[in-house]
Amino acid sequence: MPSSPANNAPALTDLVMPKLGLTMTEGVLAEWKAKPGDSVSAGTVIFVVETDKIANEVEAPSAGTIAEILVQTGETVPVGTPVARWTGKGFIADEADAPRPAVEAPKPAPLPASTGDRVRATPLARRIAKAQGVDLHAVAGSGPDGRIKAADVEAAAKTAPAASPTEGERIALSAKYLAMVRRVVAAKRDIPDFQVVRTADVGALLELRRQLNAVGGPKVSVNDMVLKAVGRALLSLPRANRIWAEDAHIAFAATDVGMVVNSEDGLFIPILRDVGRLPLDRLAVDSAAAAAKAREGRLAAGDITGGAISVSNLGMFGAKALTPIISPPQSAILGIGAVERLFRPDAEGKPALRQEMTLTLSCDHRVYDGVLAARLLQAVAEALEAPHSLLLTEG
Amino acid sequence: MAELRYVRALNQALSDAMAADPSVVVFGEDIAAAGGPFGVTRGLLEAYGADRVRDTPISEATIVGAAVGAAMTGLKPVVEIMFMDFVAIAMDAIVNQAAKARFMFGGQGSVPMVVRLPHGGGVSAGPQHSQCLEAWFAHIPGLKVVCPASVADAYGLMRAAIDDPDPVILVENKALYARKEDVPDDLPAVEIGKARIARPGRDATIVTYGAALYTALEAADTLAGEGVEVEVIDLRSLQPWDEAAVLESLSRTHRLVVAHEAVEAFGVGAEIAARMADIGFDELDGPIVRVGAPFMPVPFAKTLEQGYLPDAGRIADAVRKTLA
Amino acid sequence: MPSNNATSRSRAAKGSNKPEALLALYRQMLLIRRTEERLSQLFADGEVPGFIHLSIGQEAIATGLGAVLERRDTIASTHRGHGHALAKGVELNSFFQEVMGRETGVCKGRGGSMHVADMSAGMLGANGIVGAGMPIAVGSALAHQVRKTGGVAVVFFGDGALAEGVLHESLNLSALWELPALFVCENNGWSEFSPTSKQFVAPLAKLADAFGIPAETIDGNDVEIIADTAGRLISEIRKGGGPRVLECITQRVRGHYEGDAQKYRDPAELKDRDKIDPLPRAASRLSVLGVSDALLAALETEVMAEIDAATEAARAAPLPGFAAAQADVYTPAGA
Repeated sequence: MPSSPANNAPALTDLVMPKLGLTMTEGVLAEWKAKPGDSVSAGTVIFVVETDKIANEVEAPSAGTIAEILVQTGETVPVGTPVARWTGKGFIADEADAPRPAVEAPKPAPLPASTGDRVRATPLARRIAKAQGVDLHAVAGSGPDGRIKAADVEAAAKTAPAASPTEGERIALSAKYLAMVRRVVAAKRDIPDFQVVRTADVGALLELRRQLNAVGGPKVSVNDMVLKAVGRALLSLPRANRIWAEDAHIAFAATDVGMVVNSEDGLFIPILRDVGRLPLDRLAVDSAAAAAKAREGRLAAGDITGGAISVSNLGMFGAKALTPIISPPQSAILGIGAVERLFRPDAEGKPALRQEMTLTLSCDHRVYDGVLAARLLQAVAEALEAPHSLLLTEG
Repeated sequence: MAELRYVRALNQALSDAMAADPSVVVFGEDIAAAGGPFGVTRGLLEAYGADRVRDTPISEATIVGAAVGAAMTGLKPVVEIMFMDFVAIAMDAIVNQAAKARFMFGGQGSVPMVVRLPHGGGVSAGPQHSQCLEAWFAHIPGLKVVCPASVADAYGLMRAAIDDPDPVILVENKALYARKEDVPDDLPAVEIGKARIARPGRDATIVTYGAALYTALEAADTLAGEGVEVEVIDLRSLQPWDEAAVLESLSRTHRLVVAHEAVEAFGVGAEIAARMADIGFDELDGPIVRVGAPFMPVPFAKTLEQGYLPDAGRIADAVRKTLA
Repeated sequence: MPSNNATSRSRAAKGSNKPEALLALYRQMLLIRRTEERLSQLFADGEVPGFIHLSIGQEAIATGLGAVLERRDTIASTHRGHGHALAKGVELNSFFQEVMGRETGVCKGRGGSMHVADMSAGMLGANGIVGAGMPIAVGSALAHQVRKTGGVAVVFFGDGALAEGVLHESLNLSALWELPALFVCENNGWSEFSPTSKQFVAPLAKLADAFGIPAETIDGNDVEIIADTAGRLISEIRKGGGPRVLECITQRVRGHYEGDAQKYRDPAELKDRDKIDPLPRAASRLSVLGVSDALLAALETEVMAEIDAATEAARAAPLPGFAAAQADVYTPAGA
């Protein structure tokens, strides 16, 4: 006999796609962890959502029984869309990643949405892209404000062998990867960036690191020391600790710094909190944990939000320098090249062996001018060249 | 082939129509003995007599109202309002009577009449003798509106307007009266509602009509020097307008500019732009850009009027904008 | 009020003391009166949509003119034009079907009461715009003149149209071109909700005189006088005498439109209505001429039967379809 709803069945409510970040407008329902008929207690993971930034495990906000699943695995739906019917109480959107404006903020403006997912493209460009299977997120527009025109799509279609099944295998990409693509395209399009470059003599820094690691305790990486140097630079130059927000700056009090982590799903930037004031050994522990979470796809929305600057390090791969793309809504990113051994003239003009690293700061001109950029880079380099300062926790 | 002026083409069309059909009559202010302020009706009185070619008093409302009654009683009147601006006095007869008679009376018959309205600036005629008000009429169901730009069309659309069973507003541009073109000896009537491609091109389409056609062609020449090949469409009829021809061109060039001498706001260009944004949406590879007069009365002083009238530079800029 | 002078009276009766002609006029007036009374009732019942303007009390003018006009003659009418349409020959059934918004109406239900027209009957249309019929009639007269049809164009207008500019233009142009046009003013003293005495200062006859147009002002409630005078004027016009003006003094019994309570009007104005009402006046004259009450009663029965049948036919008639109407804004290609 088929089951029928009991007469005294509890009222069903909607379980909705939660808002997991300030800029989140839609999410991919990546996986259901519960099925119709399952009774769950509060805190049980019921489904996984992939947003443009991360995968989130969504926990039951209360106890309840899943009655019906409305959104299937793989579907993308806007925030607030009912994804299931159940007997529990619905979601309240996660407010954890709201911005933390400091006293300098002219008004509590929301984070900019202009760097979000909206693609500017002409109707014809959209039609052609659809017909040829070109992802407009990956197309650079040549029109006003980066508007993608038909010719841009056609050029992209020609240079994208993946688009043609005869020339190669078409690889579907994860929502996370595509989100990263959208982010970098938007950043390249919307941010008036410029770069300043200098080298830092890191001989003393490498020696200090050797000594610290010989003592035992958490292993400190060169990258940790660079992060710390950036945090200290922000303490001394709070003017740089700002982001652009729709005709205003938002200034941060905490010296949060992002750390670019590479994974199979693309790049992620977990944010390390108040790095300038964090002891180096604590920083080493936090950065190792954040890197692990990123590689395992466990970053939560709160882990990746905040900060005005990030550090991207390709030194371990031997690259001399890199010019990284700013990660919106941040205003700067520091690219770190490999340590090189080379001769430099000393005070007497005689060759002296040095260990140098190339630092490239990409800056948003809406926040930085050239002097500010050079001063921030100088502060970082000086901290690296006088590395004992990295052991301090206050400016 | 013979060289013919626009004004003579209109005159020839009137004369040929009167010769072909005794029910065609012509009346208006100073059109008979004086031959019309612009000479469009010159010689008709002598050729066809005082019964069919009549000077009227300065009574625009009754001139057009009488045309309605005459058309209902078996004549095909062609009336002239000396300047399009003066038609404001005759709007009841056009809008409430002529335009509605066929529909309102259950299709018992129509009102075969032509109202000739010279429009356009450029001659320092000032705010009450220069306006381009054709959009008023294109907005009224029951009216047809044509606006010839070429000499051949001046003839062909006049003949078509007179032959048409419904009321037709024939808009003539004063600046074009003196225009000369080589035309065939035997000019045909031109089907109302059909546009023509005045200059073929592949990169963008300019839709225009009336005197603005020549401004648009000048802009197309300029742009050709920049390697941009613009297609210029002369609408010829504004109501009905050749939606299919414009869509076809847009489907090839993917960019659209609409240019006219009339005020841009709420004008003919607004309708064309809106319609193409609807039915041609997926063809668009740039914004639809309009070029028209600014939202102000037509000024008098030469320098002011020069600033007022859309010129080739503005049209070229509009094309560049849609190509950007 | 002009006097009913003896010459007019004798002319109306001239040539016969037989009642046939007056009986026909009476029957036409009765048909218009009963039709409008029926429309009033149908309007109140919601069977006639929109709004309607009744000519009750003014039937003699439409009837008198209708009696002397020929099919080839044309008329332009007003918003108060039911009588004009019926008197000019618009068929009663298609008239009812039009006013009741039916596909089979004379205008396929697209115009209604204010736009009844029948080109085949020379009825160029009632008109929703005060004064608009005047230049239309002028143009129609022009067509009669140019085409040498021998026809005359008549425009009916109320005293409320006296202040419209097109009256002056139309009088001038018709005089200038010596057009076969008759301007018939139905002067009921009211311009919509206002007395015309407060709206217009010049007597129409004087105005006509200024344009050199012969004008007569007559009792607009005596159908014989009207038919007689109109017949004479039309004959003069038809002979090429140029335009004429005929002012008929009458009374509007109902409001400007149905539902108008006429609170702006002194009830005493209509106290002696029976004495001036064209129907009782014609009836008593018929009585003098020897027509029996029984015959008049039979006429009444006959007219009511026609109206009942027309009402029922209109109720049963189909409602108009939207698509066909939309396709008829312009003349179809090939038509």
